Amino acid sequence: MFHGIDPRSPIPLYVQIAERVRLAIATGTLGSAAPLPSVRQLAAELRINPATVIQAYKDLEAQGFVEIRHGAGTFVRELAPGRRARERSQQAGALVRKLLAEARRAGVSLPELQRALETELGAKTT
Amino acid sequence: MSHAIHLEHLQYRAGKHFEIPNLDLHVPSGSIYGFLGPNGSGKTTTIRLILGLLRPLSGRVTVLDLPMPDQHAQILGRVGYVPEQPHLDATLTVRELIDFQAAFYPRWDRARAEELVERFELDGEHLFGRLSKGQKAKLMILLALAQCGDLLVLDEPTDGLDPVVRRDILSALITYVSERGATIFISSHLVHELERVCDWVAVMDDGRLITEAPMEKLKQGTKRLVVMGAPAEIVNPPFRVLTRESTNGGGAGENWVVGDWEPGMTSYFEGVGASVREVIDLDLEDGFVELLRSFRKGGTGR
Repeated sequence: MFHGIDPRSPIPLYVQIAERVRLAIATGTLGSAAPLPSVRQLAAELRINPATVIQAYKDLEAQGFVEIRHGAGTFVRELAPGRRARERSQQAGALVRKLLAEARRAGVSLPELQRALETELGAKTT
Repeated sequence: MSHAIHLEHLQYRAGKHFEIPNLDLHVPSGSIYGFLGPNGSGKTTTIRLILGLLRPLSGRVTVLDLPMPDQHAQILGRVGYVPEQPHLDATLTVRELIDFQAAFYPRWDRARAEELVERFELDGEHLFGRLSKGQKAKLMILLALAQCGDLLVLDEPTDGLDPVVRRDILSALITYVSERGATIFISSHLVHELERVCDWVAVMDDGRLITEAPMEKLKQGTKRLVVMGAPAEIVNPPFRVLTRESTNGGGAGENWVVGDWEPGMTSYFEGVGASVREVIDLDLEDGFVELLRSFRKGGTGR
């Protein structure tokens, strides 16, 4: 779930971790009441500051995705129907924005990008 | 905010060629504080001043809220220190060295020492002098952790070690911090390693502090800009100009590297008739290199 976390990225590590957890919740990899790794375990595994993991979990709690039970751990909350789907479409939007930004930087035009997408998907999108 | 280490107006001179003219440092309690700088920049000297192993010409050193060197015994009982060079007796075994060290520290944690012997796969019967470089480093970390200090001072603890050993050592440090909430002061020039674990960073060069900031602030605040049509003289920018050079293609474009940058500051350029074509993020290593370049060219420092 946390494969490819990048400390060199300008996106702060705690944001990257929270994003990964949200994605896992959206896709159902983490179901309701599933436990997240403990702070100590995840920090040691990723070799990052425990405070970074705590920050990520706190943000997820504030966004209503998880519940921190002191002494017991952090657990995925029961989500309202549709929330997972909504979260998935938000993730899709974020992916597209990233793609568009990369394309702009590389000087790839929108029609070129669209053609490439169609080729990859093997079908016409419009 | 309370500080585990606080240096005020510290001045030190060693011979003709090296001096620390005026050093202030604030290491927040509970932080993992990365102390960066090229070789010879004064990192080890600063560490030795913090631990009372060197005496400053003037200035004040406070460690764990106690004055150094006046209360050095109380302080050092709560500080784990891993020096750059192994300082242990080569003719003693691993077991003997652990027992020897344990005798000095009332808070010695026998269980943790045993656990780390296992985890680091050290053989108690081996002579220190016969250990590999990686095993020596692991033993020194073990000795520093088992004394249960509130502050760990590590002088390039993973320098020259292979990636597996570096990983083991970092994981052990992180586990310790999650359990005890101690402060770690770690000097290194392995920038990527610090980028992962540290929440504060200081950069030193030539005996001077170039910057001291929370990691995220330093990373978010250092950018490379591609600027078009900037006037030669700019007055009171809200950010810090580290370097400025014309782009390879010539023309009116320039590459700038700036510090203390915040989103929205591009409007400053519009105000002086210029425009920012691109704002490029830098990782810690790029930022570190640019800070040093600017400092050495006689930039403003901090």
